[in-house]
Amino acid sequence: MSTLLNISGLSWRVPNKAILHNINFNVSKGEVIGIIGPNGAGKTSLLRCLTNQANILASKNISGSVQLKNRPITQYSAKAVAQHFALVMQKNDTIFALSVQDVMKMGLLPHKTLFSLDNDHDKAQIALALSKVGLSHALNSHFNLLSGGEQQRVLIARALVQASQILILDEPTNHLDVYYQHQVLQLVNKLNITVIMTVHDLNLASLYCQRLLLLNQGELICDGSPKEVLAPKQLSQVFGLPCQQSVDAITGATQVSFYLKDTNIRASHFAESLSE
Amino acid sequence: MNKVSTILFALAILVILSALAAITFGPADIDSTQLLNCLVGTCQNQIANIVIWQVRIPRVLVALVAGMGLAIAGAILQNTTRNPLADPYLFGIVSGAGLGATIANISLADNLTIALPLAAFLGALFSVVIVVFIAKVLQRMEQLLLAGVAVSFMLASITQFILYFGEPFATNRVIFWLMGSLARVEMSNFYVIASILIIAMITVFALHRQIDALLLGDESAASLGVDVDKLRLLMLGICAALTATIVAYCGGIGFVGLMIPHIVRQLIGVTTLKLIIGSALIGAIFLIWVDVIARSSLPHAEIPIGIITSALGSIFFLFIMYRSRAIT
Repeated sequence: MSTLLNISGLSWRVPNKAILHNINFNVSKGEVIGIIGPNGAGKTSLLRCLTNQANILASKNISGSVQLKNRPITQYSAKAVAQHFALVMQKNDTIFALSVQDVMKMGLLPHKTLFSLDNDHDKAQIALALSKVGLSHALNSHFNLLSGGEQQRVLIARALVQASQILILDEPTNHLDVYYQHQVLQLVNKLNITVIMTVHDLNLASLYCQRLLLLNQGELICDGSPKEVLAPKQLSQVFGLPCQQSVDAITGATQVSFYLKDTNIRASHFAESLSE
Repeated sequence: MNKVSTILFALAILVILSALAAITFGPADIDSTQLLNCLVGTCQNQIANIVIWQVRIPRVLVALVAGMGLAIAGAILQNTTRNPLADPYLFGIVSGAGLGATIANISLADNLTIALPLAAFLGALFSVVIVVFIAKVLQRMEQLLLAGVAVSFMLASITQFILYFGEPFATNRVIFWLMGSLARVEMSNFYVIASILIIAMITVFALHRQIDALLLGDESAASLGVDVDKLRLLMLGICAALTATIVAYCGGIGFVGLMIPHIVRQLIGVTTLKLIIGSALIGAIFLIWVDVIARSSLPHAEIPIGIITSALGSIFFLFIMYRSRAIT
């Protein structure tokens, strides 16, 4: 597998705090990587550095390097970066009545010149991408009227139109119910492109990512398979709760359960006993 | 032809018909046969010929480009700030122009034909520079609109201060100018507004995808390779130049930039290319007819055009509020 991204010595300091501290890892083509960690661990900040958003790496608070295909990402133009990375953000509310088609067309931007109009090839690409996420029927629907899961899928389809090699997702399962959480993550897995995403739900991350990065207070604590990264001792330290690892009987994936401190019963049972 | 191009085509024809029809309105009696004869150069009535070419046509053409300009300035600002209430007037452009005009009126009363538009233009640009400067200092380009409102009130209070202590005659002139009128426009005004309009249109056509990308948020646009701050600044500059020129020649004509893009979004669509072309066409039709009302509804006087647009605009505003209440 060839290396797409190389992050070395990446640090981001603001007065009195390290947002990121000496982060090192490589990303190979085709990997599905989940970034996990508590709130404020630096997950979203790390994503912003990877794509050099708003030329953030030029800031004097940030040191270290991000290399895309063995070239510093700072040497790429914003348009070239957009040709390599597609971003699916947490929140996308627009006040205007954009149609799904309007949103999809945005994905064409990194490949278009000034003044250019849409052609038949563009329309075919949009139709193909929408069919891959199972939303062919929604081409003319209002984006705002779709459910959260459908909006995520439209944005993933937009990323396909963008034809980038790396898909970045920031909490793709936030605000989604269980069905859509699995649907979106399954979809992401089936696309056969490189994926880097932040995930809050550790069991979902374990089920759908080949590799996890555990961040805590700006440091990369562990980088490896779900089984390695979700080691109970490590997780207990990071999240401050006792924890136990198991293997899911059906999926075979590593799963973790947390307990409330100073009790020997599971959190859910604990809540039940309280309500009784 | 699809639905959108059919509507746009129909609107374009309506613009031409409106302009032709508007030429026949006015104190001098000119019917459509006379008009056609004079337009193709076979005019029998010399007076009608002069009225048409030197009074009516410049006026209708200025109404046409001013309507286009104000409407697309509103449309551009609304899409680039993702705020459906953005309007060139909210950025302090008009209060800046008002201050410029006031100072010109008080101090340069001898040369007003050139000095008034020039001072109004400089005043408008001055206010935009302050607005952008404040937003830059605050490092928040998304707060342009709030900065604009603040600057607008500040400049308006300076203007009122000057007017309060100024000479009554000059004060009257400024107040009437602020109400807006196309009564004194000339053909040269049309050329100036039209050239800035063309530059603005070409720029928007070039960057329409970038502006569209902003509609789903700054972060989304940045991830698609758009330099968000630079784009927003460029568009604000273009809108400022466009509005300042129109205000300099025609005085204050409010609410066009707020109202027209709303209609276009309902009728044609929200993405930039459709919105700009639609706004230009409907804006032109709107201002041509409002000007007809302004000059022909009273027997021996004109109503300032800004009074009519503001009256219509405020009713429209309430209508939008009522509708959005119905949706939610």
